[in-house]
Amino acid sequence: MTSTLSVPTNPSWFTPTADNWKLAIFSGLVVATLSIIAFPASLSFWIVGAMVAMVAAAFVINAYRKHYYGGLLVSPAIAVLFVMNIFPLLWSLGLSFFAYQSNQQTIRFVGLANYVKVLTNDLKAPENWANLTNTAMFVVFTVTAQMIIGFLLALLFAKQFPLRKYLLILVLTPMMLSVVAAGVFYSYYYDPTFGLLSYFIRLFTGQQFILMDNKAGAVAGIVFTDAWMWSPFVMLLVLAGLVSVPKYLYEAAAIDRVSGWRRFTSITFPYIRSLLMLALLFRTIEAFKMADLIILLTKGGNDTMTISYHLIRIANEQNKTSEGAAISYVMLFIVIVLTNLYLYIANRRTETA
Amino acid sequence: MASSNTFMERLGFRKASGVSEAGWGQTLFAGLISLIYFLPVLLIIITSFKLQTEALSIPPKFFPTTFFGLIPENLTFTPTLENYTSVFSRAMTSGGAVESTGFDRYFFNSIMIASVSVFLALFIGTLAAFGFSRYPLKGNDTYLFIILTTRMLPAIVVIIPIILMFRVTGLSGSYIGIIMLYTAFNLPFTIWMMKSFFDELSLDVEDAARIDGSSDFKVFFKICLPQVIAGLAATFVFGLILTWNEFLFALLLTGIDTRTVPVAMSQAVAGGGIGVLWGLLAAIETLFLIPVFLVTFFLQDHLLRGVTFGTVKR
Amino acid sequence: MSTIEIQKVTKRFGDFVAVRDADLLVNAGEVLCLLGPSGCGKTTTLRMIAGLERITSGNVIIGGQNMNELSPEKRDIAMVFQFYALYPALSVGENIAMPLHFEKLGAAEVQARVNKVADILHLRDVLDRLPGQVSEGEKQRVAVARAIVRDPNCFLFDEPLSRLDVELRHSMRGQIKQVLANLSKATVIVTHDQLEALTMADRIAIMRDGLIEQVGTPHDVFAKPANVFVGSFIGTPQMNLVEAELKSFASGKADLEFGDEKLTLATNAAVGKLGVGKVTVGIRPRAFAAVAKATKETITAQAELIEPMGAETLIHARTRGGNDIRVVVPRDKRVKIGETLHLQPDPAQTHVFASDGKAVRA
Repeated sequence: MTSTLSVPTNPSWFTPTADNWKLAIFSGLVVATLSIIAFPASLSFWIVGAMVAMVAAAFVINAYRKHYYGGLLVSPAIAVLFVMNIFPLLWSLGLSFFAYQSNQQTIRFVGLANYVKVLTNDLKAPENWANLTNTAMFVVFTVTAQMIIGFLLALLFAKQFPLRKYLLILVLTPMMLSVVAAGVFYSYYYDPTFGLLSYFIRLFTGQQFILMDNKAGAVAGIVFTDAWMWSPFVMLLVLAGLVSVPKYLYEAAAIDRVSGWRRFTSITFPYIRSLLMLALLFRTIEAFKMADLIILLTKGGNDTMTISYHLIRIANEQNKTSEGAAISYVMLFIVIVLTNLYLYIANRRTETA
Repeated sequence: MASSNTFMERLGFRKASGVSEAGWGQTLFAGLISLIYFLPVLLIIITSFKLQTEALSIPPKFFPTTFFGLIPENLTFTPTLENYTSVFSRAMTSGGAVESTGFDRYFFNSIMIASVSVFLALFIGTLAAFGFSRYPLKGNDTYLFIILTTRMLPAIVVIIPIILMFRVTGLSGSYIGIIMLYTAFNLPFTIWMMKSFFDELSLDVEDAARIDGSSDFKVFFKICLPQVIAGLAATFVFGLILTWNEFLFALLLTGIDTRTVPVAMSQAVAGGGIGVLWGLLAAIETLFLIPVFLVTFFLQDHLLRGVTFGTVKR
Repeated sequence: MSTIEIQKVTKRFGDFVAVRDADLLVNAGEVLCLLGPSGCGKTTTLRMIAGLERITSGNVIIGGQNMNELSPEKRDIAMVFQFYALYPALSVGENIAMPLHFEKLGAAEVQARVNKVADILHLRDVLDRLPGQVSEGEKQRVAVARAIVRDPNCFLFDEPLSRLDVELRHSMRGQIKQVLANLSKATVIVTHDQLEALTMADRIAIMRDGLIEQVGTPHDVFAKPANVFVGSFIGTPQMNLVEAELKSFASGKADLEFGDEKLTLATNAAVGKLGVGKVTVGIRPRAFAAVAKATKETITAQAELIEPMGAETLIHARTRGGNDIRVVVPRDKRVKIGETLHLQPDPAQTHVFASDGKAVRA
């Protein structure tokens, strides 16, 4: 390693060199503050942006001159993530403490009132809780279905056989479909008058079949579509685990006359356990934000509204920005608790194993 | 002793030796399952060759020919390319209003936005991953943790401030805005994946190259990058699939000129039911599927290796 | 009866013939080493005996039973793999116990048998650790323990010591030999290391390019190599092989000519039947006596390179005809570079190979 940890030396305050990051921060702050006061938001944003860029440039030049490559390599990524993820996150945290509607000019600090409203208000809260329950239900159903189907598909493709490559890509295709097409065409297949499902059921019962006219049917339709689309993802992860098991272990197991079930639990499963956890984690997070399929299949009808769809509605269509921010922070809290729970379990498992 | 072969073995289900080898029997079985799984996609492709009346007919018409009289006449349709020609030529109606731009524009938008943002994420992310892997910073773990956390956030929680931010800055409806956003969403995964690839590389080769007088720059491009091709390919495919089909952010943040195909499709079906031009929609989706399908197909081998390398550590 | 027999076994991978018409018989209690350079088909042969590889043609008979169509599970064998193939998620003890589950023994019985082999192989202290947490030598012993924990038809070892360092290899050789001696099962060991083969085997089968070149006791393959390949493969430093012209043969002595050099060599009568023509003469480096004066029975060569090997010294010498000769002399015999040596080969350790490469013996 050629570059060592070098603490940036302190340049004297007012030397106007390109790597004087102290001067850059100072002048940047001054200009930014002035522009926020003097200009409208749409202009001052860009001025602040330019100042941030200037400070960043000073840091980059400073790092380059000192051969501080680590920071140099990492900084673009950190910058993009800051602007597009972390800054909005902080902003929405701030918004959740104000009363603000994006179609109105007024803004007022209200503290925790938004949270109190979305969680306990007589009018709002029951709806939110119901949407949250629906979301939890979808998470459980879709993730369970995906894990099982994905796992079975992976077992199917774990062995090498002729044409495997071509069949595998067929199974992966649903994942490549746009969610819009999947949603729209499943609504086509589910359609009571000209849909395939209704047609085949009519062959037996002689009656038109309306899948989406009750909650159970609507949920089943949504879960089926989502599981169909994303099981290949789980399959891919599990398959990667399965093919990473060295062949000689199975050979040793054959010599040792190890039974099929024991072979699976003591040789195969340890290799896919971490990948299964990962698939579970990814799919849970994705399932948590499920909104697009519901927009396309039921529009939230038959009590299939999820918290994500609700959030989009109130924030974008009803312009209740602060309330939406509060809801999204409640969601974030739940997701963080969930992921930490997962990680805790995963770590404990690997430690005891 | 061929006589001791079971019926299953003669069909191709070999079990005696070669633990992970299977024969044509497995192909037959897997083929059947794969076809069933692929059926909904196949139906979309079939529908893309149907006229509206045939698409809505009962019983559904599955087959393009009668296969020399094997298939009853009322289950067959006459394949037409009309949907494909009209994808690019006819103005789309959405909610009654006539659009000035056609799907050629949306296809261009999708290709442009997805490819630029995925490549950008790959570039920035790979640099950062190399930085994290080779130049441990003070507080390295904290940075990595933050990056991983942003991956774990449901994107939906940042949607409100991003909409506001885009409105304020005028980025709403521009290419730059949505590209930056997609780049940011692809970054954590890219960094995380590529870092584990760089971690696996042997440092000896790099040290040898440095001793031979290669610059750090050259070491990165000539020594390290070629060794992580599988990782780059796998990351690229995952990023592309997610970005290509992303719907919610595109719906909320793209304008008429920068609208991507998924958004345009969702607006084309706004009416629902009989009002939807199913054949046309199917043709759009079929065309839209081809690029990702081809990329995935050609990078398929890397995909599996990539996932394994990036996640399984022993 | 624990025996292994393979008859006319052939293995093809597509067009490539990995093993051709291999015949072997390993008796109960006998240790047979399959020795050969990498890619010679020795591991494939072992895997065919184990059932991990299907045979293309021929028969595999273990314990008197034809095993051609049986999977490894049904062959009742034990095998030690080259990379040990320890189950990474199971502890050392669980690894050793793995082959016992098939027999549906009670937990106490399993524990007793695991402890027994753990004692033999000094693994008592690491039974609870994972394979990733033990040393390379311990891993190797775990692999052996897993093989000997039950009572199989036969034992198969695939390059068992190749991953150990020199010292460990030496001590493990002894340990394995001792363990095998107490088991009296037919055993096949695959190795590319001739020292391993010579020390551990009752008999050695030398393979090259899918063919078994010679099967014999360690003494036989060294003292009576069947052909040029075996002669050159067995023994360090390598046997000197000189292309020569057989000029005449009279009363047990052959007149040979190579380069500008003439040599009269006492050989067996069979050489006389060859008639005039090309032969290859093989002389072990230790079979030379350096004499003071040139005679008809010496080769003259100049020392070019001298490598002290401790107890002995290896000299690379060049004849006038341009042949390189390796000679091993005792440590106390001082030789200088450029010195002319008169080397008299010991007829008893000198081999004549006919033009087809086969040794000519009476």
